[in-house]
Amino acid sequence: MSSKLSDWFKERLGLDDLPFFKTPDYMYKVDYWLGALVASAFIYTVITGLILLLYYNAQAGYNSTEFVINSVPYGSVVLYSHLYGAYAMIILAYVHMFRNYFAGAYKKPRELLWIIGVIMLVLTLGTAFLGYSLIGDALATSAVDVGEGIISSIPGLSIFIPLLFGNYDAGDYGRVLAWHIIFTALIGLLFVFHFFMAEHYGMMPSRKVKDKVPAVYTKEEWQKFNPWWPRNFVYMMSLVFLSWGFILIIPNALAYLNGLPQQLNPFLNPKPAPPPNSPAAAHITTYPPWFFLFLYKIADFTSDVLIFLFIGVIIPLIYLILVPFLDRTEYLHPLKRKVFVGIGILMATYLIQTTIWGDLTPGVEIPVGQQVLVYLPPAIIVALGLTAIKPRTDNKGNIKGTISPITVLAFVLASSLFVIAGIELLANPTILTVGIFIPLAGIFVLTTKKIAPIALKAEQKSENMAISEERVPEWKKKLAEGLVAVLFIYAVVLAAQIWTIPATGYFSNLFGVDLGLIFLMLGEGISLYHYVVYRK
Amino acid sequence: MIRFKSDKEDKPILDYSNLTFIRKLTRKMRDPKTKFDTKEFINRGEDYLFNYTNKNVGSVDEKRRKFLKSLIFGIAAAAVVGVIPGLKVLVPPTVTVTSGFPKSLLVDSSGNPIKASQIPVNSPFIVIFEYPMTGEPNFLINLGDSSGKPVEIPSTIVEVPQTGKTYTFPGGVGPNKSIVAYSAICQHLGCTPPYIHFYPPQYVGPSQLTASEPDQLTAAALLAAKQAKVPALIHCDCHGSTYDPYHGGSVLTGPTVRPLPAVVLEWDSSTDYLYAIGAVGVAAYPNGSNGVPTNNPNEDLSSSFGSPVGDKTTVQETENPFSS
Repeated sequence: MSSKLSDWFKERLGLDDLPFFKTPDYMYKVDYWLGALVASAFIYTVITGLILLLYYNAQAGYNSTEFVINSVPYGSVVLYSHLYGAYAMIILAYVHMFRNYFAGAYKKPRELLWIIGVIMLVLTLGTAFLGYSLIGDALATSAVDVGEGIISSIPGLSIFIPLLFGNYDAGDYGRVLAWHIIFTALIGLLFVFHFFMAEHYGMMPSRKVKDKVPAVYTKEEWQKFNPWWPRNFVYMMSLVFLSWGFILIIPNALAYLNGLPQQLNPFLNPKPAPPPNSPAAAHITTYPPWFFLFLYKIADFTSDVLIFLFIGVIIPLIYLILVPFLDRTEYLHPLKRKVFVGIGILMATYLIQTTIWGDLTPGVEIPVGQQVLVYLPPAIIVALGLTAIKPRTDNKGNIKGTISPITVLAFVLASSLFVIAGIELLANPTILTVGIFIPLAGIFVLTTKKIAPIALKAEQKSENMAISEERVPEWKKKLAEGLVAVLFIYAVVLAAQIWTIPATGYFSNLFGVDLGLIFLMLGEGISLYHYVVYRK
Repeated sequence: MIRFKSDKEDKPILDYSNLTFIRKLTRKMRDPKTKFDTKEFINRGEDYLFNYTNKNVGSVDEKRRKFLKSLIFGIAAAAVVGVIPGLKVLVPPTVTVTSGFPKSLLVDSSGNPIKASQIPVNSPFIVIFEYPMTGEPNFLINLGDSSGKPVEIPSTIVEVPQTGKTYTFPGGVGPNKSIVAYSAICQHLGCTPPYIHFYPPQYVGPSQLTASEPDQLTAAALLAAKQAKVPALIHCDCHGSTYDPYHGGSVLTGPTVRPLPAVVLEWDSSTDYLYAIGAVGVAAYPNGSNGVPTNNPNEDLSSSFGSPVGDKTTVQETENPFSS
């Protein structure tokens, strides 16, 4: 019956004729589908945002936020997961971008795809900032103040402030809301282009198949792969529900954490801060949303706003947009593009480093000496590391993988954390710093041990040139089937229980946790189904 | 895996699962029900063979696949069942807006009415009740002189420094006309207890200048108390606003520019019960972006984000902020 139904839709919708990329077996791994994850976070956020739009009153931002949380049935569930959907989208967009950066996916013929992606990242961050400002709490207003300060200190740009924020100070968030929606619509529009271009070129083949540009499967090659329907659809659904599950579970579980230390607040607290005209606001250290902590820290480096903007925004952005034209080599292997890989590693490292730094010392000015002390070690480690690692080619002239960019990134992160902890220990020897230093030193030693033989001897793993999947033993499939049955039972139990959760009040967030768990089970169930039915 | 033994090394020939697959396929091909059509095969070639195998043998047993599918649809149904109560989010909650102040009996935490004659004089404890909306705390104070005897609080005219307008505070109630109630939300930036609270006479002295939060007093507050000749104060530790509880919560020192709104109390002499019946002064929350309040405390009631306390409101003794 179900196959008849599926066929009916297949015919009506012409699913077999869709101009969608047919996917080879080895691509059913999550790193080929990061874009789908970003998209599912985007869709989730749009849906919840539209629900919130039913209640949000731009004339009373903070009050209506409180109203949504306290009075609307399951309002806090929707609001908190809207926030975390946006968080997930930002994090996943970064992961998606850096993965494709290191894979060289910005190269011919995907330059435009890449550039649209970068623009979408900027729009996403802008939308997130506007959305964050809509709450109208003490942190939002101070974030807007900082933003306004930055914009207005550049001559000629201050005309944009009323354009963007309207009468924000007077408590009118109408403009902010409108721009928040307009930006989202723009992301949606660009997403359509991004998506259809990605389907047009196809997902980037493994380097083992195509190690030079243009890395695309020809139409003839891809005709032999799995058609989009139903396998891609099934796989996509498992990813969508898994990510929705996490987006629902995490914030609603975190809502029960009370009294977080200040450092964890910007990352883990889904609740709004007190309103700006309240007493409690006087006791809050202002900090921006976590995704702008890095900018907030860079703003402390220099009093010149133009320099700050160049370091923090313009140069990285221009670089990212231009990188397809700067990196003109035909090779995709990271070790054949050491300079760009190095810059990429440093960008990721600095982003994380500066974010953490901004979190630990929000708004504290940093002397130049200390800046150098923090930013130099990763640069040196990356430069030395990349010069030490030699790409090896086998007898056919193919480059052999010696070290993955992820390992390098982990190594750089571990060693810079180790260096920072060491400096901190010397400058300020307390039990806390010792306690932080020892595990970091341990991690550093372990990662060094892992990377040293590869880096020193450039030892090679003999990698299989064939990228066919290994056959899955029958007992594993049996096990997967059993797991689906268990998941089904749990899902039914939870679905019965979820009806008993009150719609408002303290326990209402359990609804989000439970629904998220059911989504996780559905996602995992579909994933196991994919495993049993489609894996060979 | 079937292996072939030669002199040195094993040579794999056929995977076991491939063997079963071939056996299945050949059986299906011979089966009259699912006869393999050789003519079709000649016509359509590979495509026909692939379709045939997919349809009749498949990579996974069709029964298993159906069972799995039904389980997945079961979980999906569970997800739908889980989403349904979530659709309540679309139902707008009803907001009750009151047009006038409720008459609320002051009760203790166990629900028994508060006896006016049993309220301690000059208690350092922060005693609050919510009125007229939930979440809006008010102080309940039995005022006395420096020796601890209750003081009659007469009706006074209170000025709002911000606007220059005045209103009449009706005075104290109770057996000694010494019981008053003021909003516990500081009119400067909205600080609530324990940052704003009542300072009994024994704590209005130079020793409080160096006390730690939240029982510090500013020198300006002490001086203002001396000049106004009042033994006790309401003081906000956030930014140092000081109010005169003996004269309708009027402003003694800034930065506040508005007196504390007062709750109008009614004392039933036959039962000794206390009722909150209204408020005088400005609205508890300043209206509009310019921060200028209306003189009408009723404005507060139009807030669509709170609910009225009803005909009873609980008096709570939260804590004694003074450490010594």
